[in-house]
Amino acid sequence: MSQELHEQELVPLWGKRSLHRLPFIVASDLLRSRHLLRLLVKRDLNARYRRAYLGYAWAVLEPLLLAIVYTFIFTILVGSSDPMYPVKIIIGIIGWTLFARSLTTSAKSLSSSINLFQFARVPKTVFATSGTLTNALLAVISLTSILPFYFIHDLPVSLNLVLILFWMFVLTFTGWGLGLLIAPISCKIPDVLNVVSFLVRAGFFLSPVMWTYDMFSNRFGEGWHAIVAHLNPTVIPITGMRDALLGESTTIPTYAYVMCFGFALGSYILGTIVFERKAHQAVVNV
Amino acid sequence: MSTVMRLEDISLEYPVPRQYRKEDVLPSGVRNISLDIQQGEVLGIVGRNGSGKSTLLKIMAGVFPPDNGIISSKGSVSLLAGVGVGFHKELTGRENAYLYGALMGRTQQQIDELIGEIQDFAELKHHFDRPIRTYSSGMKSRLGISVATAFRPDLLLIDEVLGVGDASFRKKSEDRVKQLIQDSGTVVIVSHSMGLLSSICTRIALVENGNVVSIGPPQDTLKAYSELLKIE
Repeated sequence: MSQELHEQELVPLWGKRSLHRLPFIVASDLLRSRHLLRLLVKRDLNARYRRAYLGYAWAVLEPLLLAIVYTFIFTILVGSSDPMYPVKIIIGIIGWTLFARSLTTSAKSLSSSINLFQFARVPKTVFATSGTLTNALLAVISLTSILPFYFIHDLPVSLNLVLILFWMFVLTFTGWGLGLLIAPISCKIPDVLNVVSFLVRAGFFLSPVMWTYDMFSNRFGEGWHAIVAHLNPTVIPITGMRDALLGESTTIPTYAYVMCFGFALGSYILGTIVFERKAHQAVVNV
Repeated sequence: MSTVMRLEDISLEYPVPRQYRKEDVLPSGVRNISLDIQQGEVLGIVGRNGSGKSTLLKIMAGVFPPDNGIISSKGSVSLLAGVGVGFHKELTGRENAYLYGALMGRTQQQIDELIGEIQDFAELKHHFDRPIRTYSSGMKSRLGISVATAFRPDLLLIDEVLGVGDASFRKKSEDRVKQLIQDSGTVVIVSHSMGLLSSICTRIALVENGNVVSIGPPQDTLKAYSELLKIE
């Protein structure tokens, strides 16, 4: 081993990397670190549920219990006549929670994983990604909370169901990209995390969690209200998840899909560039 | 002998929090440090509290990027800083060892091969499969030193952790580091224990106000350090 080391050349630790290559470098770093990613996800899951008596059942129970509460409020107190409303709410909760957690976990990753950076030189995106993957896995597990409604309402079983996973991926990807963008900034200006926390709480009501795309279209039509609503990156994916589950086909304008995918891709490109350029320096502030 | 790490005119200043900016306080960090670390050497670093020793190790580990200067290295580098740093309290000793190994870039198979050695060295017996939160600080430090040295990085950076545990474990840790050096490992160690440094180091650097003010044979540097402490 010493002979091998003897023959190696010294390599600068902080070499310059061109801007346009950074999104590809992040993807390649993550692929190379997949073993570490797997262990970090396992660690996060263990840390979250190991001491709980019900363990992973909480991943299913949480959206189910929330759905019962919201169903009570909206069907009994408000008087919604749609029998599928509880299912739509559960999907909304799962989708929104996935996006919000992906965003906040990756946004806080630099400050929350500082002790792990000190062991060795590991790509810092790994820590932002492991938390996001943990949340994505829990969101997939929480989909089982829909099963009772499947049998009760005899919902269609088709290949369309795969689209639920696709839209969940879009939500995760967008939240993760935005989190990468915010993480280095939040190290320098901690108030940013308070703003994120507020936006996540406000976003719950501004996103189609308790309302649906059709409800919005029927009320506001397709004018500027619709364009503003489509700026919310969760509107199309959550609607897509509902359509895939219920076998419905909501009429969504093409520009809305372009905005949704553009937002996801833009978040990734901008997030990876800012993270790779600023995260190392930002850690000094933590 | 080849150089495993080269620091050229390295500087790093910690940002001063806004509320202290008006005070006449020098920003902490390191300034204009140039240093070559040779393969197989044990470089000790001494200095008063806040002089920049730990910051220097973090720059060497690639944790912090320098504001100025170039740092280059070859081979794997690992930093052992603080007892149980990075261990997750809900994970068992075994799970933490696997995670540490993965952070060091080791594969599952490589960790499998070393896990028995880690368990034996840490002397944790059945506690190895219990969550870290049930460990005493001595047990955590034994596990920390055991995993950090077992993965045999090409350059091991140690920050004030060899003095932990009881007398017999301290002796064992020192022996392990000496063994690591014999296996052509290279060690940079920060410690306040002059006895330990003079027994294992080939060179010692004295850091004061973020600068390396003296570097050379252990006895010479430790003498300069003692004089600095007397002046204080």
